[in-house]
Amino acid sequence: MTNTEAKTTLSVTIDGEVFEARPGELLIEACERAGTYIPRFCYHSRMKPVGMCRMCLVEVDTGRGPALQPACMLPCSDGMTVSTETPGTRKVQAGILEYLLINHPLDCPVCDKGGECPLQDQTVAYGPGESRFVEEKRHYEKPIPINDNVFLDRERCILCDRCTRFADTVAGDKLIHFMDRGNNTQVNTFPDEPFASYFSGNTVQICPVGALTARPYRFKARPWDLDETVSTAWTDSAGARVAVQSSRDKVIRLLGIDSDPVNWGWLSDKERFAFEALNSDDRLTAPLTRVGDHLVPTGWSTALERAVSLLSDADPDRVAVIGGARLTNESQYAWAKLAKGVIGTDNVDSQLADGLDPELVLGLPRATIDEACTPGGTIILCGPDPKEEIGSLYLRLRHAVVHDDARLIELTPTATGLSPVAAHSLHPRPGEVADLARALVEAANGGPAVSAAGVSAEEISSAAVAIDGSVTIIIGRASLAESADCVTDAALQLAALPGSRFLSALRRGNIHGALDSGLAPGLLPGRTTIEAGAARFADAWPSTPASRGLDTAGILAAAADGRIDVLVLLGSDPINDFAGRPLAAAALETVPNVIALDMLVNDSIAMAADVVLAASGATESAGTFTNLEGRISVCRQRVTPPGTARADWMIASEIARRLGFDLGFDSVESIRAEIAAVSVVHSGLDEKALAEALVDGLLIGGSGDIMVPGVVGVSPSAHDAYSLRLVASRSMYDDGVALRNSPSSRGLARSVTLRLNPTDFDKIGVDRGTVVRTESAVGRLLVPVEPDPGVPVGSAVLPWAAPGSPANTLIDPFSTVTDVRVERA
Amino acid sequence: MADPLDYIRGFGVTFKKLFEERLTLQYRGGKGKPGKPDEKREKGLRFHGRHVLNRYEDGMEKCIGCELCAGVCPAKCIYVRGADNDPDNPTSPGERFGYVYQINYLRCIHCDLCVEACPTQAITESKLFEFSFTNRNDAIYTKNELLVDDNGKPRWLPWEDWRDGEDEHTSAWMRATSPAGDHRYEGVVAWSGELGHGVRSPEVGQSDSADESSRPEMATTEVEQ
Repeated sequence: MTNTEAKTTLSVTIDGEVFEARPGELLIEACERAGTYIPRFCYHSRMKPVGMCRMCLVEVDTGRGPALQPACMLPCSDGMTVSTETPGTRKVQAGILEYLLINHPLDCPVCDKGGECPLQDQTVAYGPGESRFVEEKRHYEKPIPINDNVFLDRERCILCDRCTRFADTVAGDKLIHFMDRGNNTQVNTFPDEPFASYFSGNTVQICPVGALTARPYRFKARPWDLDETVSTAWTDSAGARVAVQSSRDKVIRLLGIDSDPVNWGWLSDKERFAFEALNSDDRLTAPLTRVGDHLVPTGWSTALERAVSLLSDADPDRVAVIGGARLTNESQYAWAKLAKGVIGTDNVDSQLADGLDPELVLGLPRATIDEACTPGGTIILCGPDPKEEIGSLYLRLRHAVVHDDARLIELTPTATGLSPVAAHSLHPRPGEVADLARALVEAANGGPAVSAAGVSAEEISSAAVAIDGSVTIIIGRASLAESADCVTDAALQLAALPGSRFLSALRRGNIHGALDSGLAPGLLPGRTTIEAGAARFADAWPSTPASRGLDTAGILAAAADGRIDVLVLLGSDPINDFAGRPLAAAALETVPNVIALDMLVNDSIAMAADVVLAASGATESAGTFTNLEGRISVCRQRVTPPGTARADWMIASEIARRLGFDLGFDSVESIRAEIAAVSVVHSGLDEKALAEALVDGLLIGGSGDIMVPGVVGVSPSAHDAYSLRLVASRSMYDDGVALRNSPSSRGLARSVTLRLNPTDFDKIGVDRGTVVRTESAVGRLLVPVEPDPGVPVGSAVLPWAAPGSPANTLIDPFSTVTDVRVERA
Repeated sequence: MADPLDYIRGFGVTFKKLFEERLTLQYRGGKGKPGKPDEKREKGLRFHGRHVLNRYEDGMEKCIGCELCAGVCPAKCIYVRGADNDPDNPTSPGERFGYVYQINYLRCIHCDLCVEACPTQAITESKLFEFSFTNRNDAIYTKNELLVDDNGKPRWLPWEDWRDGEDEHTSAWMRATSPAGDHRYEGVVAWSGELGHGVRSPEVGQSDSADESSRPEMATTEVEQ
């Protein structure tokens, strides 16, 4: 054996027991693995150690006699001897705690952390019992809001540097920091600059004292009256694992769970505070039916009867279902079976022209988040801004780039939240990302670099040089004002990079579960097509669709033409979410019958629904969730649904029964069993495997029967010099119905501005704040303009679904790009 | 076989009691007719009766809504919810106050653990024991009923039988044990009882060893080497 091989483990003696530690492992981690907990405040396993609090001092002997050293700063070395329970260690622990409590107020009874506080717990376990200090404690103004949702109580702060480290090194929003010196050192924001971070809630979760508290949880309950279940965050497709905590049958807090392959314990504020919408006073507690212009509450039997009579009277080809990304996998499967198997329509689409071709997402070789974040690898972002759309993914990607030497190459129409750390940011003209991808791939494969899509040859060649190691391409819709085909073509170009794999960045909740459940035209559950899967479903389903149906754009166009009789809105709001508001509005006006399943009355329901069936929300029903990697994780019921609202699969079963067919489901387990039986990819999905993978989830791999689609060959129309090309991109907070009903998120939607490159300002003759008329072929908006050097010349960026100025007013879903005329109003 | 004389001895006890002072009181719960006696026995020093929620002398409520009473309650009969104090018109000192406070007297076992747990002496017990409900909702006393009035005296609820002097000392702390559960502190006022109305003098006699010399020094505990 050579010497290097001998050093794959290090022998460390911990309190007399020999333990094999890993090279480079910190002593505090090795001790924890060995079963010896060392008290700590500042150390957090997902952040670099700083040794601020000195609580983890232990006696370490490396051959020169025992000396007190901080276990969080000390990598293990061979032959190290550690004593964690010597009188010297005990004395220093008691001393540190007495020291921390000189100024820490003893207001534990009114502190939200009281009962789950590391300082409280460790004072009981390691503290001196009595303090010798009788002097007055330091006083600051009691909690000061550092942003809309987080309060800072500086009296309680023990200066552990966790929140400030998180803001700087994890979130990249360096907006809180230590200020002043000595006894007056305190954490604070910069003057007049709030801690405006999408991830501020994490600082509350990791604060080891009650210095940071969150408004939605403030004084709502104490830790001992919380009930808790493991579940999955539902507002985006990352599938971050959460602990749902409730008191008195009401969810009052979500905490991130450290799931190694997914979210590392972090959550975006949207995921963290989204439960408020479920507690909204406007939640549907009973079904509604339309009487005249009003939706009035009714009983389930009346509502179901009306829905069933509408469905049974209609020709299957004239029935369409839009939505389904909100549902659990089980409910999605039940609805797929109802729509495609019982009713017999293939006009089913869970994406609202804001996604990608499902066969592209399912057919291409897929990467996990871990694979995307491989140290030293290359990440090509050909999709949305993860910081705005999929917060947990953003944190993982940022960590890979900043701390693990991954290189990020952006092929996005504008700068993103990751641009500051990206190796190369290439901004193609809207609609031409496929040209850029082709040029990049050619350059990377040794060909000559040529300029493409407005990006210079030098930029492309230097970016091509950076492509090395494992290559992961993140695909999604960077702009909803250009057709999904642009991304399809770009992805197929990038697939030519050797060893490349793809990570989907479709954002909508459980959209990947919906695609796996066949809620898309031409698909059946289990990543199979209606042609390939018909035989397998012959036993379990009464029938399968014979020919491919319409997607959402096709459904709405057909509805506007009067070719759809019954439209089912499965938790969707086409008016606000469909990329093409004029078409959605025309369709909802024309379609004679609309059945909706939802938790809240959204604009489309208020406008057109005839029957609204009250559905239960994410914390109110059991099921599973599929994240963007294809990872299935458990969602558990924590509270009872309001009123008579019920799970979506129960509604599907009930409708099917009244249509004369028994779906055969009496529990979510029975649905899972059928999924595992009929699906080619879900065969490993059994209850035991799910229970064992409670934290990390069960990765479902493979493409099933799905073939990668061919190149569409989009060619955007020529760009005339008088227009700007529109980029409509989502932001974390918008005017969606769920956010409107979350008190903590409601005010966070940014005021809408049209962002232009400053050089375009002179051309149009406007200044910052000038209200302009933005007119496309299908609609117009009045919005103020704002300069943004991150926007390429010739483009105009409008946030999606902003309050009062919906960008989809301007979008024609059937055109490749959207050109807008921008003029002074 | 029993001794036949035992029967006579048994009746002897009965006859003897006929000429002793009677222990029975003519208690009518305050509903006695004029002229008829209505006597109420004085309750023991640590009798656990109906709770009161106390105020400070400036009228602020002592309860801060910390839920420690609800947490410690073995019968789970207390429901508390905290809320933010309005800074301009606070209900209690500090940030938080008891927004909801309810005790279900169908469940309460009057163990007094809530009183022991309370960090502000907000909840104490009176000696009132008259509970009378005709439905379950009435058994749940709310903050309105439990909270003392502006004079710091408990409210006399219509069905309760308050006698003179019974509403004194209801805000005093009635610990069954010494502050740290240490019998050596028995009889020592270790918590300032001066905040409310009616300070009760320290109580002695729980154990024989309650003398000052056996008490350890309080503030100078050294960490043992």
